[in-house]
Amino acid sequence: MTQDLAGREASGDQAGAVSTAVDGAAVDGSQAETAADAAPSAGAAPQRFGVIGWLRWIWRQLTSMRTALVLLFLLALASVPGSVLPQQGIDPAAVSQYYAAHPALAPFLAKLSGFDVFGAPWFAAIYLLLFTSLAGCVLPRTYRLARSARQPPPKAPRHLGRLPQAAGFLTSGPPDQALAAAAGLLRRRRFRIRTGDGCVSAEKGYLHEVGNLAFHVALLGLLVSVALGGLFGYKANKLLVERETFANTPVGLDAFHPGRLVSASDLQPFSITLRKFTARYIASGVQRGQPSWFGASIRYNSRYGGQQHGYDLRVNHPLSVDGVQVFLIGHGYAPVFKVTDAHGVVRFDQAVPFIPVEQSGLTSAGVVKVPDARPRQLGFAGVFLPTEIVVGGRLVSAFPAPDYPRVSLVSYAGNLGLESGQPQSVYSLDTSRMRRLAVSPRPLAPGQSIVLPDGLGKLTFTGYRQWASLAITYDPGQLPALVSALTALAGLVLSFLVRRRRIFVRAGAAAEADEAVPSPGAADVDADQQATAVEVGGLTRSDAAGGFETEFAELASEIMQDVRGAALGQPGGEVAAAVPKGE
Amino acid sequence: MTRLPRSARRAAGMTLAIRGLLASAAVLSVASCSGGEIAQSTPVSNAQSFVGGSYSSTFYPPGARPAAPRVSGTTLDGAKFSLAAQRGSVVVLNFWGSWCAPCRREAPALATLATDLKTAQVRFIGDDVQDSPANALAFERTFRIGYPSLNDPGEQVALAFHGAVPPVAIPTTLLIDRTGRIAGRIVGEVSYRGLRALIAKVLAGQS
Repeated sequence: MTQDLAGREASGDQAGAVSTAVDGAAVDGSQAETAADAAPSAGAAPQRFGVIGWLRWIWRQLTSMRTALVLLFLLALASVPGSVLPQQGIDPAAVSQYYAAHPALAPFLAKLSGFDVFGAPWFAAIYLLLFTSLAGCVLPRTYRLARSARQPPPKAPRHLGRLPQAAGFLTSGPPDQALAAAAGLLRRRRFRIRTGDGCVSAEKGYLHEVGNLAFHVALLGLLVSVALGGLFGYKANKLLVERETFANTPVGLDAFHPGRLVSASDLQPFSITLRKFTARYIASGVQRGQPSWFGASIRYNSRYGGQQHGYDLRVNHPLSVDGVQVFLIGHGYAPVFKVTDAHGVVRFDQAVPFIPVEQSGLTSAGVVKVPDARPRQLGFAGVFLPTEIVVGGRLVSAFPAPDYPRVSLVSYAGNLGLESGQPQSVYSLDTSRMRRLAVSPRPLAPGQSIVLPDGLGKLTFTGYRQWASLAITYDPGQLPALVSALTALAGLVLSFLVRRRRIFVRAGAAAEADEAVPSPGAADVDADQQATAVEVGGLTRSDAAGGFETEFAELASEIMQDVRGAALGQPGGEVAAAVPKGE
Repeated sequence: MTRLPRSARRAAGMTLAIRGLLASAAVLSVASCSGGEIAQSTPVSNAQSFVGGSYSSTFYPPGARPAAPRVSGTTLDGAKFSLAAQRGSVVVLNFWGSWCAPCRREAPALATLATDLKTAQVRFIGDDVQDSPANALAFERTFRIGYPSLNDPGEQVALAFHGAVPPVAIPTTLLIDRTGRIAGRIVGEVSYRGLRALIAKVLAGQS
């Protein structure tokens, strides 16, 4: 029982010793003893390095500062390919372009998760190790800080003259009175006070450690926030034609990149209808054709059958619904086609989104597939030109606004390949089993038709609408990440601005006082009175910003004034200035 | 080396680590920044890509069946349809689109099955998503689909199933038992035999 108590006492002291060591302070007697007690067991470990020993060693290595720094560097390095290579989750189109441009390299990179860097196993490994390393460092520190915050300052060392900052003076009152006066002053200066036998210990600046800790905890928080986003967040894209609606379900989205723990039921059940898309372009000057304004007027509701709300979606003015952000990221034209087949039956009537292939005139490419035309399936591929002109025999678009809209299509008949069940893109036409029809791809104005040869049917360009492409992102880690980042910054500032410092005061009869401290004020004290020698010592982190010397000199001087004033019965009375002995 | 100086060194080192992490946090934030800027994104994938040959079939035993939502709407022919009015029959609800290749492939099986099971208490209903009525009607004519389909270009019926068993791809087929509870889900293309066996299971479990 006694041993148990002693053991707890020792571990308590050890914690105290650690915090002293953090401040770069001298180790006092009891702490040295504890260290000596611990030494045999620590010394025995390397000789018999068992499984536990190895685990401990690995844990120490992992939670060491060096490992954390290496992991940090690796994390920064590992995110480089994420910004150099196109990422599937951010820009799938760029990934396909990369595949087209580097057919040999791309599959190899894909195997190394090069197009999904932030979801790659190796990225996760670095991330988790860093997380563990930080947690292993921060958690024991939190514990120690919590302990030291509740503990009074340590006992004053015996020889204050050996501390980095020291001063001494003589006073006429008894030692107890001197100590009480010093303690009173330090308490008013919001030091934490511990009074002992003939000494006062005072400590201040706990906020330094709090700031330091807040920073580390916030870093952990930042990692957790990113993980939250990766596990529970999702990204999706949707191309929405004017007057059409989509629901935020996997069935309604064009591309859906869920986090690892996201299922279809987790998607926020909102619907969005694009009422009208408006784009304005600069009509003249060098910037002619450049967009000057985009806006999408939408209606949305947050659940099936819910109330409809209106909203104007603009660039950098996203819609926020149920914590999900909907951004306007692109736009284009969707010409409307009506196709009748050989039997004179309407087999197709729909707005078909065409994808811009150049920006200055918004020339857009697209395909029309009519799988239900009889007797042959029909396919059309071509371009939509918002403002058609002919330059050197070639059709080009002179301006992005639909001032002179035309479509030019090449017609095919045969097998579209859809019946194989193999999914295919709605933006490409597989013409390998189709025959090009002998019909001129002359530009069609709205209302004009192509009559197909052999009585295969007719295509009419009935008009056009605009489309907007939307990026849907849900990242539950966004707010925690912001809070963590701000906390980290505040913690960092705090730990740089606040120093943890200790002031010790000892008082005793002049004869017993340490001779190492000269007492310049001694001459002022009357010889017939019992003289008391007062020593003041100060300590702070050596690596902290300067300024403690001045603070200490002021404090020592004020302590002397108060102590001497107390002795004369008038605090702060007229006394000779103390000469602090700094180093 | 004793324990005390080591922890002291570590503590001092972590202050350095602080500065390093801030730098890498900046790198990360740049890397993860998604464009809010207007750009011509080329959507290369579409809803079809979710199917990607994936196929999964789930059967819910009678005690563990989520209730189907009360959905109603207009069919491609312009008639009113209410799911709740189908109580007493097993309902096969197929989500499809005329543009969807796997839907075109499974259509003959569905059409035949609907004809073969006409006498049993089974109702087939389609839900046509991301489509236009003209294209959808052409599809129905091609495959001689004898059952009605809801005209659902905005996926509102799919959305109504959000809280229960949501369709996760096109095509998805849901089986709803006679009490209006969801008994099964097939994601991807159905086969005549597979779907028929599942329907039989639902019919048997309820009688």
